Amino acid sequence: MADTQFSVTTSPHLRTTVTVSSAMRDVLYALAPITLVSIYWFKFNAVFLIAVCLIVAMLTELLFRKAMNKPATLKDGSALVTGLLVALCSGGCSAWWVGALATFIAVGIAKELMGGLGWNRFNPAAFGRISVFLLTPFFYWLGLAFSPLQASFGGLDVITSATPLALLKQGTALPDLGSLFLSFPGGALGETSALALLIGGAYLLYKEHIRWHIPVSIVAGVFVMALLFGDHSTTPFYLTPFYHIFSGGVLLGALFMATDWVTSPITPRGRVIFGLAIGILLMIFRLALGPTEGTCFSILIMNAFVPLIDRLTRQRKFGEAPARPAPVAVKPSLEKSS
Amino acid sequence: MTVKTFPRGIFLPHYKEFSEHEAITSISLPKEIIIPLQQHIGAPCQALVKVGDRVTAGQKIGQSEAFVCAPIHASLDGTVIAVEPRPNFNGKNVESVVIAVDPDQIEPTWPERDTDKLSTAEIRSAIKEAGIVGMGGATFPTHVKLSPPKPIDTIIINACECEPFLTCDHRMMLEMTEALVEGARLIARVVDAPHIVFGVEINKPDALEAIKSNLGRDEHITIVPLAVKYPQGSEKQLIKASIDREVPPGKLPLEVGVVVQNVATAIAVYEACRYQKPSYERVLTVSGDAIVRPSNLKVKIGTPIGFIIKECGGIKGAPTGVESDEEWFSVPLPKADPAGKIILGGPMTGWSQSRLDIPVTKGTSGILVFSPQMITETDYKDCVRCGKCVEHCPMFLYPNFIGLYTEQGRYDLAAEWGAIDCFECGICVYVCPSNRPIVHFVRETKEQIAAAARAAQNK
Ligand code: SF4
Ligand code: SF4
Repeated sequence: MADTQFSVTTSPHLRTTVTVSSAMRDVLYALAPITLVSIYWFKFNAVFLIAVCLIVAMLTELLFRKAMNKPATLKDGSALVTGLLVALCSGGCSAWWVGALATFIAVGIAKELMGGLGWNRFNPAAFGRISVFLLTPFFYWLGLAFSPLQASFGGLDVITSATPLALLKQGTALPDLGSLFLSFPGGALGETSALALLIGGAYLLYKEHIRWHIPVSIVAGVFVMALLFGDHSTTPFYLTPFYHIFSGGVLLGALFMATDWVTSPITPRGRVIFGLAIGILLMIFRLALGPTEGTCFSILIMNAFVPLIDRLTRQRKFGEAPARPAPVAVKPSLEKSS
Repeated sequence: MTVKTFPRGIFLPHYKEFSEHEAITSISLPKEIIIPLQQHIGAPCQALVKVGDRVTAGQKIGQSEAFVCAPIHASLDGTVIAVEPRPNFNGKNVESVVIAVDPDQIEPTWPERDTDKLSTAEIRSAIKEAGIVGMGGATFPTHVKLSPPKPIDTIIINACECEPFLTCDHRMMLEMTEALVEGARLIARVVDAPHIVFGVEINKPDALEAIKSNLGRDEHITIVPLAVKYPQGSEKQLIKASIDREVPPGKLPLEVGVVVQNVATAIAVYEACRYQKPSYERVLTVSGDAIVRPSNLKVKIGTPIGFIIKECGGIKGAPTGVESDEEWFSVPLPKADPAGKIILGGPMTGWSQSRLDIPVTKGTSGILVFSPQMITETDYKDCVRCGKCVEHCPMFLYPNFIGLYTEQGRYDLAAEWGAIDCFECGICVYVCPSNRPIVHFVRETKEQIAAAARAAQNK
C-alpha cells in the first residue's frame, strides 16, 4: 500500500497555544495601561516619542535581518516590545532622536548583532538606554544638530521633568505617596503610575509569562536597602522604602525588564538571587550617585552574571541527592552544526 | 480525600470525553493479521511456523531462548501466508508472521485453575508462557520485571492513565475490576511484596469506587487518589506521588523496593494464571477529533490499524459514498494535505503513522485520529530562555540546554544537562513557545552517546 499523506512527526503531538508572538502580544497588552497614563500626562509628546521608537524598532530589525540574510521575524513582536520599553524609559520631555538612537542600538546592536532573539545576553531596552546615556555627553553636537528638529508640542506646563527622587534629593515638596502610587507626572513615561504598572504585571503573572520571583525579590531588595540606608529626613522612615519602590522605574524594571525571558536566570532560585542583586545594586546607585539610570544599570550588570547564576543554582535531577558540581560552562555558540 | 501528586509536571486538557463512556466492544474479523515477532524490549523471537502452516488462536508462533524476551502467539485461527519483515509502528521493519484468517473461528476454551493453589514459580512461568509484557506502552517482559534481584515491599498498580484521550484502562477498571484486583494480588505474591497500592487519578471516581468495593477487607491494599496531572502515570512520578520515594537517576523502581504494573498487565496476569490464556488480544482506545465513532475495543494482536479505523466508522471529513481504494484495511481519506495524523499510543508519547497496514501490538494502548486542525507543529525557532521547560520537566532537567547543545553536536554537554535521564514525556515540547522539538534532540543525543559507547567497546 502506498504511503498515505498523514503527517509524521516526533512526539508529543499536542502543543500549548502559547507562542513567542502570543506572549509578546500579551506583554504589549500589559504595557497598555502605563502607556495610556503617560499619554494622558505628556500628551502628544508621549505619542510622538512612542511612535518614533516603535517605528525605529521595526525598521531596525528589518534592516539588520535583511543585511544578515536572515528571515524576517517582525511577527514575533519582540521589536515592538523593545521599542515601547525604550520609549517608556525615556523622560517625558526628552528629545525624539534620543529615543530613536536608543531604540536603534537596542534592537540592532543589543539584539540582532548578538544573534537575534534568544541569543542576546543583555536586555535590549536597558542596553539601548544606557548606551545613549553614556554617549550623549560625547555627542553634545548631536543635540545641537537635532534641536531645531525637536518638535515642540506645548501644553506641558504642569509637567515637571524631575523625578520624585530628584525632588527627594533636593528636599523640595514631595508628592504624597497616594498620588505617587496612582499617578504622578515626573521622570520617564513609564514612571507615571505605579498602579498601571502593577495592573500590567498582574496580567503577565496571570498569563504565566512571568513568575513572581524576580519582581518580588527586586522590590524586597529595594525595600530593605531603603529602610536601612535611605534618607529618612523628609519622610517617616517606614514610608521611605515606598517612595523608592513607586518611583524611578523600579516597578517598570522589576515587572517588565528584569523579567525578560532571554536575559534572566532559568530557575526560580537563580531568579531570586538575580532579583535581590538588582534591588540592592539599584539602591547603591541611587544612594551613592543620585537619580540616574540606576534600574537599567543594575539590570545590565546582573545580565552579565546570568550564565554564572545558572551554573551555581543548578538544580538536582529527580532522584538525585542535592548539590552537584556544575559542569564547565561552554557558551553555546551561534554556529549550528548541521 | 487527600489527593497526592509529584512535583512539577503539567495540567493537560484531557480530551477523555470522546470515549470514556463507551463500553468495551469487539470488532469483526480482519482478513489478515500481521504479528511482529518482537513486541517487547529485549531479544526478538524466532518463528516457530512457516508459510502454509495452519495455526489456531493462542498457539505459540514465536519464541527465543533469551531471558529478556516474551513469546508470541497467534491471535486467530488461520493459515500462515508469509514470514517476512513488515513495517512496524516505530518505522522499522520487523520480522512478522502474516496469517490469512479463517472466516469461521472456533472460540478457544481455557481450563480454569484455582489461582490460590499456584506456587510462585508456577505463576511466574504462567506469565512467561503467556508472553505478557508491560501493556502501558513500555513493553518490558513482565516475568523479568517480576524476578527482581532485590527485595520488593510494594506493588503499585498504575491506574492513572494520564495521557489525554486514552480511556481503555479506565474502562477495564470498571468492567474487569475483579480480574484487576486478583491480578494485583498474584503479582504481589510472586515478588513476596506485603503492600499493594492502587494509584488512581481522581478524574475516574467510578473506577476508584469499583476497586474499593472489590477489595473486601484486605489491609494490604490501599487506594491512593492522585491529582490529574501529566505524567502521573510515569513509573518514577507515580512512586513519588503515592509512597514518596524517589528512584535515583538511571535506576529502576526496584532500587527503592517497588514494582509498578499497569492495569492491563495486571489483568493479563490474572488471565494467564487462571486460564493459561496467552496475551494475544488487548483493549485499546480509538479516539481523536477525526474518528467517526470513538470506542474502547478489544482487538486481536496483529490487526491492521486501518481496519480498526474502518470498523469505527472511518475518518471524519473524508468523502462519503466512495468505497475505499484497493485494500480491505484502508479507509477514504480527507482531501486535505496533510490528511491529518494517526497516532499509536497517547498524544504525548505515541508514534505518528504514515501507513494503515501497521499492526496493533501488545503495547498499543490507543489509536488516535487527528484532523489537520489538531496538527500544531510549525517550524521551530531559537530558544528564548523562557524557562517553561525547566519549570515543568518532571525529571528536573534542563531541556533548553539539551536542545541547544544537541543542535551544536555537543552531545556530551547535552547528556550532562540531562538528555540521558529524559524519559521523553514531551512536556518541554508541549510548553515551548518556540516550538522546539526537544524530544527529537534527546533521541538524537541518546543515539549518538550509545554509538560512541559501542565504538569505544569495539576498539
Ligand atoms: S526533558 Fe524529557 S523528561 Fe524533561 S520534560 Fe522534556 S521530555 Fe519530559
Ligand atoms: S521552553 Fe523552549 S524557549 Fe523556553 S527555555 Fe525551554 S527550550 Fe527555550
